[in-house]
Amino acid sequence: MEYRLRLAKRMLFNKKGSLIGAVLAVTIGILVIHVNFVIFQGLFDAIVRDISNYRNGDILVTDEADYIDKSDLALANWFERIPFVQGATPRLSSSAEINMTKNGKLIEETRVPVVGVDPYRDVKASTVHETVADGTYVLNRNSVILGTNVARDLGDAQVGDSLKLLIVDRTGEDQIRRFNVAGIMKSPGGQGFDYSVVMHIDTLRDMMGRSGESSSFIVKLNDPSKAFEVKEFFLTAFPNDDFLAETIEESAEEQLAGFRSGIAMINMIGYFGMMSSAFAIVTIQMMLVNGKTREIGVMRSIGAKRKDILIIFIFQGMIIGAIGAGVGTAAGLGYTFYAKETKMSFNNSLPLEVSYNWEKIIQTALTSFSLAIIASLYPSYRATKLLPVEAMRTV
Amino acid sequence: MTKTYGTGENQVKALDNATFSIEKGQFVLIVGSSGSGKSTLLNMIGLLDRPTKGKVFIDGTDTTKLSENKISAFRNKKLGFIFQFSNLLTDLTVLENVLLPRQIAGTNGSAQKDAQDLLKTVGLESQMNKRANKISGGQAQRVAIARGLINNPSIVLADEPTGNLDSVTSGMVIQLMKSMAKKLNQTFVIVTHEPEHFGDVDKIITIKDGRAFEGEQPAEMEVIA
Repeated sequence: MEYRLRLAKRMLFNKKGSLIGAVLAVTIGILVIHVNFVIFQGLFDAIVRDISNYRNGDILVTDEADYIDKSDLALANWFERIPFVQGATPRLSSSAEINMTKNGKLIEETRVPVVGVDPYRDVKASTVHETVADGTYVLNRNSVILGTNVARDLGDAQVGDSLKLLIVDRTGEDQIRRFNVAGIMKSPGGQGFDYSVVMHIDTLRDMMGRSGESSSFIVKLNDPSKAFEVKEFFLTAFPNDDFLAETIEESAEEQLAGFRSGIAMINMIGYFGMMSSAFAIVTIQMMLVNGKTREIGVMRSIGAKRKDILIIFIFQGMIIGAIGAGVGTAAGLGYTFYAKETKMSFNNSLPLEVSYNWEKIIQTALTSFSLAIIASLYPSYRATKLLPVEAMRTV
Repeated sequence: MTKTYGTGENQVKALDNATFSIEKGQFVLIVGSSGSGKSTLLNMIGLLDRPTKGKVFIDGTDTTKLSENKISAFRNKKLGFIFQFSNLLTDLTVLENVLLPRQIAGTNGSAQKDAQDLLKTVGLESQMNKRANKISGGQAQRVAIARGLINNPSIVLADEPTGNLDSVTSGMVIQLMKSMAKKLNQTFVIVTHEPEHFGDVDKIITIKDGRAFEGEQPAEMEVIA
């Protein structure tokens, strides 16, 4: 082994306290970044996941000017011919006033969002049906599913209860119908339909006077990475319709923009943490240099050049960086694995969407390794400045 | 050569125009009372420090004109050092300490064998794999001698090499240095305040108030006194 590397290793490993301190500094720096990434990127990805699963799919098709009037069958069949498409389904949105008598008391709720779904197509293109915590999903045209918050506001409505729903149709007329509550929906994270009412799309079309029309069409893909390709293919296939097709990144941009800058800021804080660990390395290595002053003097007196001393202490920085990056990355991966396997969530909120971002993991490890080397430059330089005669006087 | 430390009123003259020459292969003692400038003189010869005025010639080379890197290389190849406290690197084994000057020189060819031979010569072949801080003071000083000789230097400089040893061990170390000097035909320059322990030597240089005199009782000193 190269003698300077051997010396660097021995000097470092014989000062276990300093070695552990320096390695811990690097490890903690990396761990902070991994924890930040798991929590905040996981939260961001979970929100994107839920928006995609419940509301927008991987591609959201709307009409630029009005409602989509192309038939459900035509559009769904067109999409489902594409191998990447898992399912495509129409949605229709409106708002309603709900009246319900509970324990002899009339409760009214106004401006409640109402979503019309095709129950047979929807189960292929979204996971809204999985949020039904009590009862069943939309089974027939006379039943509705209430979001848990709507049910609470209606005096704790239960499955089997009856309610009246008023919707203003396209001509301005009130349309009132009675429905049975078939199920209650509950989903963590706020992206589901906890504040909405879900009913059969044909019933809603009837009430709104919009036969065969939809507000949007959501398309779910087997491989979300093909979203842009499918979108472009769709727009090329229907050049004369006023369709607007957006990938999840585009359709959810408004909701996610603020979150994205928040993540950038948190990442910055993580990197500042890493900088702090670099200062810790500077301090620890200065202590190592001070503790080895006499040895440096001896080495200089037997012919070691300043460059040799510099290299020895830079090797120490590399050793600290390599061990710290290794331990830190292992600890970070351990935490990521734990978060993924346990579907980590906070206060019963939405479970984090944890992923292994290898590019970021490698980048973090390399950054901390480089920082450890940079941090060792000043102590190494100081070591070279020691004069042999004066250094050897140190006891 | 002259060496002064400090400036103005705080200026101290450690060496005052000290002039002498040593022939190749001589075993030379530098003696003098504490603070007389012996170690300063040895540092100048060993190129660990530069004189304020004057020159140091070694093997015909004016060392005061050498760059710092060349001085390091010169120290490594032409000079061997033996210090009072052995100054071994405690992170290394006995063998690794002896090998170090050769590794610094970058000539590793027969280094391992040479180091082992030297350790055998100083009677420490059984200790070569021990950490340097696990051996006795006398053994450490013998390792330091082996380290000082590994690059086959022209001059071996020793600063009170027996100053930290008991009389029996001192005697062993002195005999070892004398036999090595004879065997390898190397110049030994030894700073000591116990010249009587060394017996017959080729030359004694006495330092008094920074000035150098050849012999133990310089006439000039008596005149000055």
